[in-house]
Amino acid sequence: MSFSVSSFWESLVSALAYAPVTIKLTAITFVVSLVLGTIIATIRYYKIPVLSQIFAVFVTAYLGLPTMVAILLYNIIFMTCYADVANVLHITVPISEVDPIIIGYFVLILGTSCSVSESVRGAFRGIDKVQFEAGYSIGLGKFKTLTRVIYPQMVPILLPGLQNSLIGLLKASNLVSAISVIEIMTGALLPSLLYYSYLEGYVAAALVYWLIGIGIEVIGYLAEKNSGKYLKQVATG
Amino acid sequence: MENYFSIERFIHVFPKVISSLPVNLHIVFWSMLLGTLLAVFVAVLRLHRVPVVSGLLGLYISFMRGTPLLVQMMIAFYGIPIVLGTVFLNLFGINLNRLEPVIFVEIAIILNEGAFLGEIFRGAITSVPAVQSEAGYSIGMTGAQTFVRIVLPQAFKVAIPHYGVDLIGVFQNTSLVFMLGVVDLLGRAKTIGAASGHTIEGYVAAALIYIAFSLLLKGTFLLIEKKLSGGEVKLV
Repeated sequence: MSFSVSSFWESLVSALAYAPVTIKLTAITFVVSLVLGTIIATIRYYKIPVLSQIFAVFVTAYLGLPTMVAILLYNIIFMTCYADVANVLHITVPISEVDPIIIGYFVLILGTSCSVSESVRGAFRGIDKVQFEAGYSIGLGKFKTLTRVIYPQMVPILLPGLQNSLIGLLKASNLVSAISVIEIMTGALLPSLLYYSYLEGYVAAALVYWLIGIGIEVIGYLAEKNSGKYLKQVATG
Repeated sequence: MENYFSIERFIHVFPKVISSLPVNLHIVFWSMLLGTLLAVFVAVLRLHRVPVVSGLLGLYISFMRGTPLLVQMMIAFYGIPIVLGTVFLNLFGINLNRLEPVIFVEIAIILNEGAFLGEIFRGAITSVPAVQSEAGYSIGMTGAQTFVRIVLPQAFKVAIPHYGVDLIGVFQNTSLVFMLGVVDLLGRAKTIGAASGHTIEGYVAAALIYIAFSLLLKGTFLLIEKKLSGGEVKLV
């Protein structure tokens, strides 16, 4: 048995065909988690009673749960409870017609929101209190101060961490293969199932992931370079 | 409700699932031990900027960072016997195809940690101000002495919080090993589920064990950090 270039090529083509599934899953999850994570962090920053305590306990505990365990657990809950819940809600779509990627979205969004909220909380600490007062002094409300003054200043602080979370999310999205969603890895394995060329399949999958990862790094680098601009302008001008 | 989740079944299943925790801890222990050694080499080599080696290491770190651990495990599982199989069979008489899958899992995690911890160590070493090395030289220490006695202890303190986060990450990553047929917490929960027809209880048990143990590790590292910094704790 050795490495066959032709099976590798076939796997690579198949993996690339399924790359949009992974990219879409990663991108949508990232954007939604960014919003949810910021909301959670803001609630915890302002110490809104009850909600902030609930989130504090939930986020701390949830960060201890591996993505794989969460995926399997929610998948099995979904499978056992779907029929009854669908009956109550008068949904007539049978479970075989439901795309399991929904569970993937749910698990990844929940997990990433928790980790992003921790990064945003860290970024809050990097913002000077004076910035809030500056917002209030020119008559902005609490919400306007946040969206116009505080959040924009967080962007350069957050970017390196967010780039890491995005790459982590890309890799975590691989785990939805465990609940029979066809993404890059399982896509790359489709030809392998015919020829038993598993190594070629996995190497092809790794290559596609690597390319996307490098793409994210390049985007992150460019974003970091641009987001720091205002600091330099202030310093020189 | 009884159909989905029963407390009785849960109490029955919990001890069986937790009895597989040593498998996960075994993987964490060996991966962290050998991964840390590899990472020190990687960090020192990267800092010395040896021409060709440094480029290769950059490629290695980029690969480990950019690809999912599961894919790396699978490549180790299928690739190592193909590439090194005949060599090992002729030299040592070991048939790599007969080895336990857990060994390939550990190799994959060790290589992965070599890259991640290597970057953490490199960052920690560069965070020590150059003045500290100069202070060492000024009192007549050699390069190696300065590194071991002055730079390393200070770098250690910087690296500890990140090392803790990384170790918890490795513990959580052991949840992937059941994909290769290793009977760990999840593997056990899965087999119990297949045998009894009730999977949820086993998975819930595994989830609770993972959460509890992660929190325990986190607490331990916070304590170590507190000891090292004399009472101040900076969260990562």
